[in-house]
Amino acid sequence: MPDAEIALLAIAGMAVVTYATRAGGLWLMVHVPMSRRVESFLRYLSGSVLVALVVPAALQEGGAAWIAVAAAALVMLATKRTLLALVLGVAVGAAYRAL
Amino acid sequence: MTVRLSMQGVMRGAREMAFITASTFLFGVTFGVAARGVGMEGWTALAMSMAVFAGGSQFAALDLWHAPIPWGPLLVATFAVNARHLLLGASLYPWFSGLPPWQRYAAATLLSDANWAQAVQAHAKGERDAGYLIGSGLVMWAAWAAGTGAGAMLATLSAAALKAFGLDLIFVTFFACILVEMRRDGRDDLPWLVAAAAAVAALWWLPPHWHVLVGGVAGGVAGVLRDAGR
Repeated sequence: MPDAEIALLAIAGMAVVTYATRAGGLWLMVHVPMSRRVESFLRYLSGSVLVALVVPAALQEGGAAWIAVAAAALVMLATKRTLLALVLGVAVGAAYRAL
Repeated sequence: MTVRLSMQGVMRGAREMAFITASTFLFGVTFGVAARGVGMEGWTALAMSMAVFAGGSQFAALDLWHAPIPWGPLLVATFAVNARHLLLGASLYPWFSGLPPWQRYAAATLLSDANWAQAVQAHAKGERDAGYLIGSGLVMWAAWAAGTGAGAMLATLSAAALKAFGLDLIFVTFFACILVEMRRDGRDDLPWLVAAAAAVAALWWLPPHWHVLVGGVAGGVAGVLRDAGR
């Protein structure tokens, strides 16, 4: 294991790099002239990032995750209430896992 | 509501994020347990969670945590795993561009997947206060640190017991709910399919952790190209 000072230095290095990724997207956009095309890209980007988070995660986790996602989506379509859909989706996924 | 950053916004974000943080806490516990598993001391794991606050990159660091520290691989891996934050930040620019730069960059300090998703949803409903992202990030940060501490202290604690309640399913389900709400008929389907295909391809054929970045960019480009061709 690294010494305490080295460990803290390594953590500080990771923190700086991570903050750069958090602030970097905003910083880059300052230098991109806003146009309708850029705005439309950013809008598609948000949904696409969510899709790219959900699909691989569900693929790796398997049945319970797909069932939780499907149940939540159905509740969401029917009620438009995020918290309700989330709680029911997770409960159904956990129940499936327990079977 | 005009664009601003205020304490009321911070409180709103914190309140509306509270439930989701059960998942963050569980993930923190698994990190604390895993850190002790590779021989890291508890205080080091906690310090890392408090200072870095980015789960994927912290797990990646555990593989590299030996003396002497492999500085290059550690910092490159941290960047690679967290590079998706660049997209999250870019997507918030239209909202945050009206803020003074110091507020804009301060609001990004606790940016992560779940509170970004929550903030995007809130923005669609009229939220304009950048404090929302800070408040929702703060409760996640607290849950992440508390989970790490609990996991590191009770290294024998079974994450499987918490998994039985499905707490590890909260994130993926939450993101799916937001997608349902965000979807515009006929416009989003094609870019989202492209995003899914690209993300799965990246998952299979690229090194770990690139799939969010690849899927996000592919979907964004697909949407713009399709619109241009209409």
